[in-house]
Amino acid sequence: MFILSFLVRRLLQGALIIFLVTLLIFTLLRVVPGDPVRLMAGGMAPEALIEQIAKQMGLRDPILVQFGRYMAGVVQGDLGQSFVRPASGAATGGSGFSDASRSDRAEVLTLIADALPMTLQLAALAIAFALAFSFLVGVPGGLAPNRWPDRLAFYVSSIFVSLPNFWLGIVLALLFSVKLGWLPAIGYKGFAYTILPAIVLAIELAPVLIRNLTGSLASVMQSPFIAVARVRGLGRQRIVYGHALRNASVPLLNLLGIQISGLLGGVLIVEFIFDYPGLGLLTVNAVMQRDFPLIQGIAIVSSAIFVLINIGVDLIATLIDPRLEY
Amino acid sequence: MNDATRRGFLKGAAALGAGAGLLRINPDFFISPAAAQAGKTLVFLSAENITGNWDPTAHTTLSQGNIQGFTMGYLTRTPMRVEKPDEVIYELATSLKLLEPTKLEIKLRPGVKFHDGKDFKAEDVKATFEYGSRPDRPAQWYPGPTETLTITTPDDYTVIVDTAKGGYPAHLFMFLAAYLPIMSATDIAGGPKGPLSQRLNGTGPFKFVEQRGNDTVMAANPNYFLGAPKIASISFNFVGDSTTRMLSLMNGQASIVERLEPEQVATLAGNSKIAINKVVSVENKYLWFRCSKPPFDNPLVRQAACHAIDREQILEVLGDAGYPSSNFVSPVKFAYLDLPNYPAYDPKKCQELLAKAGFPGGKGLPPLEYLTSTGFYPKTKEYGEVITAMLQEQGFPVTLSVLEIAAWNERLYDRPGGGPGHMVDCGWSTGSPEPDLVLRTHFHSSSKRITGLVDPDVDATLDKERSAASLDERKKILQSETMPLLADKVPALSLFTSVMIHAMDKSLTGMFIYPDGSMDGSKGVFA
Repeated sequence: MFILSFLVRRLLQGALIIFLVTLLIFTLLRVVPGDPVRLMAGGMAPEALIEQIAKQMGLRDPILVQFGRYMAGVVQGDLGQSFVRPASGAATGGSGFSDASRSDRAEVLTLIADALPMTLQLAALAIAFALAFSFLVGVPGGLAPNRWPDRLAFYVSSIFVSLPNFWLGIVLALLFSVKLGWLPAIGYKGFAYTILPAIVLAIELAPVLIRNLTGSLASVMQSPFIAVARVRGLGRQRIVYGHALRNASVPLLNLLGIQISGLLGGVLIVEFIFDYPGLGLLTVNAVMQRDFPLIQGIAIVSSAIFVLINIGVDLIATLIDPRLEY
Repeated sequence: MNDATRRGFLKGAAALGAGAGLLRINPDFFISPAAAQAGKTLVFLSAENITGNWDPTAHTTLSQGNIQGFTMGYLTRTPMRVEKPDEVIYELATSLKLLEPTKLEIKLRPGVKFHDGKDFKAEDVKATFEYGSRPDRPAQWYPGPTETLTITTPDDYTVIVDTAKGGYPAHLFMFLAAYLPIMSATDIAGGPKGPLSQRLNGTGPFKFVEQRGNDTVMAANPNYFLGAPKIASISFNFVGDSTTRMLSLMNGQASIVERLEPEQVATLAGNSKIAINKVVSVENKYLWFRCSKPPFDNPLVRQAACHAIDREQILEVLGDAGYPSSNFVSPVKFAYLDLPNYPAYDPKKCQELLAKAGFPGGKGLPPLEYLTSTGFYPKTKEYGEVITAMLQEQGFPVTLSVLEIAAWNERLYDRPGGGPGHMVDCGWSTGSPEPDLVLRTHFHSSSKRITGLVDPDVDATLDKERSAASLDERKKILQSETMPLLADKVPALSLFTSVMIHAMDKSLTGMFIYPDGSMDGSKGVFA
């Protein structure tokens, strides 16, 4: 019953957040300089044609009217059609204004549905790498405060947090792909193409996780119940993995929720550098081409993902520690 | 022996099981050498995206022109090298003969087929010329609208182009023959919304297969009339980032990359697996003035701005990517010469002209915006800053706006009352020796793409050179009247000629790169 009311409450809150994000993005896109119709029709298109297309598409109506029309489509699962991309999904530009391919414009939902699994795969592998590395470095650090494992964890996270992802991406591609030839780096033709970008994202995620894990584990290890556990005769491994880590993982989980939400920023750059065909590359190209429907669609889907991740994280945290209430 | 426990046994068994499982996993699933990606497919990484409409007359986009270079057939090809700019190689045509000043006879090669199996005949050339000349076709490469042409086909392999109704000479089609992709009459019959917009159907060495996301897939045409290509297929990809393109070439995933930055050329020059190809291109880079609004509606102010700019310094910024030229067209184009009256860096003259225009020392000039792009052309931001500083030094109140490609493209062209800003940086590249593809396109009042120039004197000289009865006469008019007049009026300042820099896998040989960046891959082969 608690879970049901929790879910209903949080989903309603989430819907409101998504609505506000959509309204904000929709308004901002229409007040920034740059006429998307000119991009669609081509720079050489005459003014009359620009106005004709704009009126046909309702782009000269008041913003609220446009927004109402857009939301009516969204609630029916229609995120509209891309302004510039054909159904083949190619990133397009250029100067033709005959608009012959208008009927072939790609559905925003299809473009996102094609790109999202790629980004989810990348994000999942990045989180797996980040967690594995954070545990490898953070757990010994947390178990030995103020000794060398703790200092090592500190230095490693300090170095990682100082590495810009665009630089690291290029360096890792040079090393593992160009020099050693171990991994492919550019584009996507199989799972192996996910590894290098995932490592870059993992290195971006890991420092905060390491510091958090080290700190919270060290703190938990000082708790009375750990001392009691020793008195009860439990082995060190059981104490650490069965009790201390379980308690230390609640703040880590909350942090992970925020980190995953923030992952999109890193994904934009990393996917662009590695030409990885996910949501990040789609977003960069959509922004560069002023593809309003696509930018809006990505914003809605991204905010929905953030909301769902945070609901999921809170739910799992309550399951780990039933004292928590959200 | 008593140390053995149930827990220990289970742990050991699990470890053994995992170890055995690991041995059975094919690690290639996770890690496959990048080198293994290389095959017989030529992977081309393009710096520019395509339009999404395959009709060759619907765009002026270079990357799509490159794809057409692989798939479409042309009547002739013009290699356009600086040392031999007039060379013509016959392809679908076997001869071009001027019967009269307004009558051109084109003899065609028999036995050629389109990719869809249709025989290539005179009807295809007639349909292509008539369709491409339609005023509603955006590319507008043809010298006059369809009603100015009378095209007859005495037999399946002869075409007569008569331009008498238009009052312009038929020789204009001789240079354009190397630039206009020949389409199938059957496709053209379907109109702009028909099969033309859906796919490419040509007579070239490679067949268009499909568009897969950003990947344009082409396969060798086994029936290509000059012999089946050795390269099995081409994958033509848009990759926006130049570093990504370079890394992809270095790790063997890409076969050819284009638009290298000068620093990247230096990096790749030391790589034994990579070859660099530099070609003086058909593209000049210009500083276009908005001539339809103040202050650049005054030729004196334009001249003053041109004398404020030291083009040698710009070339230093560009390094390998720039080639000096003093004309409005590239040195590989017909009738090029270094114009004696082309504006040179002269601050004193700049000040004299400003004073004469009523703006002594730049006083009284309105704030000026100079628009440039970043991400496509090499070093635009860097030399834009240099030009801005030079103009400011002479009193021009200029601010530089560096825009990403889409925003810049949106502001590029002339509009009623003058386009955005006052000066715009842009290159213009057309894969033909024909100078009018630049001069008439930009400076005749019937087109005035960027400048918005409406000048009866310029119109008159452009009409005169176009109407010359022979190529020799035309060359003379261009060099002694039209080009010098443009150098006086300076509706734009051509800053330099671009050098097209490609880097490619050294094992790939036989590729011929044209000065517009398109290439002939029919003789290409991987060692």
